[in-house]
Amino acid sequence: MKKLSRLSTGFYIFLCFAFLYVPIIVTMIFSFNSSKSFSRFTGFSLHWYEELINDAEIMSAVWVSVSIAIIATIIATVLGTITAIGLSKSRKLLREWILNINNIPIMNPDIVTAIGLMILFTSLRVEKGYITMLLAHICFCTPYVITSVYPKVRELDTNVANAALDLGATPFQALIKVIVPMIKPGIFAGMLLAFTMSIDDFVISYFVSGNGVENISMIVYNATKRINPTINALSTIVILVITAAVFVVNIAPVIQKRKWFKRLKKSISPAVKKTFTVITSVLLVFLICFSVIMSNTNKAVLKVYNAGEYIDNSLITEFEERNNCKIIYETFDSNESMYTKIMSGERYDIIIPSDYMIERLAKEEFLQEIDKSKLKNLDKVMPYLLDKPFDPENKYSIPYFWGSVGILYDKTVVDETDLEAGWEILRNQKFKNNIYMYNSERDSFMVALKALGYSLNTTDKAQLYKAYEWLVEQNRLMNPVYVGDEVIDSMINGNKAMAIVYSGDAAYIMSENENLEFFAPDAGTNMWIDGMVITKDCTNTDLAHKWIDFMLEEESARANTVEIGYSSPVESVYNEISTTEYDGISAYVPRLDNENDEFFRYQPLEIKQYCAELWIKVKAK
Amino acid sequence: MNYFKKLVRPYIIWSAVFIAVPLLMIFLYAFTQSGNSLLNIQFTFDNFIKFADEVYVDVFVESFKLGLLTVIICLFVGYTLAYMISRFSEKTQSFLILLVTIPMWINMIIRIYAWKSILEPMGLMYTDFAVMVGQICEFLPFMVIPIHTSLSKMDKSLIEASYDLGATHIQTFTKVVFKLSIPGVINGIIMVFLLSVSTFMIPQILGGGQYILIGNLIEKQFIEGGDWNFGSAVSLLLAVIILLLIHWMKKVDKEG
Repeated sequence: MKKLSRLSTGFYIFLCFAFLYVPIIVTMIFSFNSSKSFSRFTGFSLHWYEELINDAEIMSAVWVSVSIAIIATIIATVLGTITAIGLSKSRKLLREWILNINNIPIMNPDIVTAIGLMILFTSLRVEKGYITMLLAHICFCTPYVITSVYPKVRELDTNVANAALDLGATPFQALIKVIVPMIKPGIFAGMLLAFTMSIDDFVISYFVSGNGVENISMIVYNATKRINPTINALSTIVILVITAAVFVVNIAPVIQKRKWFKRLKKSISPAVKKTFTVITSVLLVFLICFSVIMSNTNKAVLKVYNAGEYIDNSLITEFEERNNCKIIYETFDSNESMYTKIMSGERYDIIIPSDYMIERLAKEEFLQEIDKSKLKNLDKVMPYLLDKPFDPENKYSIPYFWGSVGILYDKTVVDETDLEAGWEILRNQKFKNNIYMYNSERDSFMVALKALGYSLNTTDKAQLYKAYEWLVEQNRLMNPVYVGDEVIDSMINGNKAMAIVYSGDAAYIMSENENLEFFAPDAGTNMWIDGMVITKDCTNTDLAHKWIDFMLEEESARANTVEIGYSSPVESVYNEISTTEYDGISAYVPRLDNENDEFFRYQPLEIKQYCAELWIKVKAK
Repeated sequence: MNYFKKLVRPYIIWSAVFIAVPLLMIFLYAFTQSGNSLLNIQFTFDNFIKFADEVYVDVFVESFKLGLLTVIICLFVGYTLAYMISRFSEKTQSFLILLVTIPMWINMIIRIYAWKSILEPMGLMYTDFAVMVGQICEFLPFMVIPIHTSLSKMDKSLIEASYDLGATHIQTFTKVVFKLSIPGVINGIIMVFLLSVSTFMIPQILGGGQYILIGNLIEKQFIEGGDWNFGSAVSLLLAVIILLLIHWMKKVDKEG
């Protein structure tokens, strides 16, 4: 009987751990995948480990994540422990107050804490970066330490500390030698919790950081567009390091019992130990100072803010070498989050937003005019992409990538005749449960408005309401899945018959899955241009212009378009790539001749909020 | 002992600057109109009135349902696991608890993507099931650890006493073991509930965009450049409801 119960206990624990560790094992397996896919294993390779070592962005993110987690944990543990000890001796009223305030960061959703801190740092005009991120981490870690230590302190027998004081210990000695050892389990639990919270934090770090300081979570989040197994390789290494550490910790007690170890221990005098401690701490301080100094080199600096996974990284290094400067490169995941960051007081030299956002930034006077005499390569840009209504005469922006939006469909499932319905194919019940919509109000409303024959820039609320009804009806009839950039991987695997995608993404997907075809209905679609702009805050305008000009050079434009898959604005490169690298892939060559195609314009806030509200209602129904 | 009173002081200043002030700012946002400057503040209840819309109330109800379900499953699975772990030798216990903690050190987004690649071939993606699996895997450790802490510091002689006095296994468990572990259970419930009510990454990736929960609603207002004032109001409401729930649970704990 006892054996049986022990067996079932073992089995249950095994099941639970299997459940917790399955995703980690899968992560490790895909770190050895030869392709970018997360769902098909195409063959063994160490390619992603090579990438990891060469990826300066990820390596510095590792440094940021780990160093912040360690420093924040240490400070939070000290602060939290002394507070918990002090609290137990405070008056009841003060105690209740502090404990309640202390609960706020634990009980608030991360995003609320994040926004609060962001507003705080902005209004105090603190420059965002490593220090703000560290402060924020201490801020949300300390409460966890207090909540774990405080109950232990209360269980403490106060007489013990009093006895120590009576016996002549100073308060500090009583604290370190008597109280702390007694509440060790609580401190340790709090420390563990603080470290865990800090190392895995995304939301708070995302909002309070700046100046190119990114942690691992931020890199992963912004790279969802073309997420690749480099991050898996990193996770695998982390797991191996942890396993090794666990092994050592469990082996250490065994070694300590050995005779030779005891003899060795005896032979080390306390003085040596002290020296060792001092040397270690000096080294640590030196390391921190060193890394701060390293980031403050005398080279000219250019801060570039671009969408995640939207550049061939080798171009950054090449530009740095050629101009003997330093590029601080940061990424965002959408135009809107970029705008939020700018509004929160973050400063950049070059930003690469989309058309309507360029118009908005220009209108709100965030940008400075581009001096075209400094651009030698401007005449290489396709004439079609210049002088568009969102930025007449390209006063503020120079094209970076461009394309359209359309339906990517599986030729083996969708008939040519079905396509005649135009956008209405997205409400053809034959494809119920079989379509991906793009999870963005802008693109979904575009589809509905175009299906109804309206302009995508309409400000007529009645038309928007009709579009809303179209989308609600579609949701009810078709049960679509609203996805983000993970559509790329899903369509490569041919999971569903159709998806709304950007032409650039479609080109890449089609190059990986030949059953797919790209289609833009005659009723019109959204044409878009992402452009490089120079902000008002930019002081080194020469360097900024050099950057823009560099991106228009044939060689860099070619490297960029081949790596990313979006259509190049440089005419010669575009023509070349559409007959070589992306030969026969229609999505790389978006149509230019349909009168119904439009560019997005910046819309009044009221209309934007109206759409945002309707969009939530579409999905929540 | 009075020397130690002073130790609270640094944290009083710290929490005033880094907790109270930011919260007050969010308060300010929740009760003001959008787009006004500090010089020209217009107080309003519009942000809360807007919330009365059926759709938003539904979002709240759905989030709380999902949170509750996650808590129930985590409690069931987590309690059993914590209980079993607590019966091993002390050394094994700390090793097993470490094993429970380690997954949390691997980036959460990575683990969610890993679930996606597991569930996709099975055709289980974008379902309630997928979201549930993700949530439980993510939050289970937060339930196991506090319960285990309560169980492990329990005086074993109480259990022996219970048997000596003639209680059955079940009686001993319900009347002694479970009762003594209630503080841990409450902590675990609060932790898991909080995390699962305000999460937005898991439903977004595993459930698809049609999953709108409070977390998504708030995130949308802030990150996607929506309405900061409305977003502040929603977060304030969420915080108040959660505070009331926690208050109620602690009261039940004391009375029970």
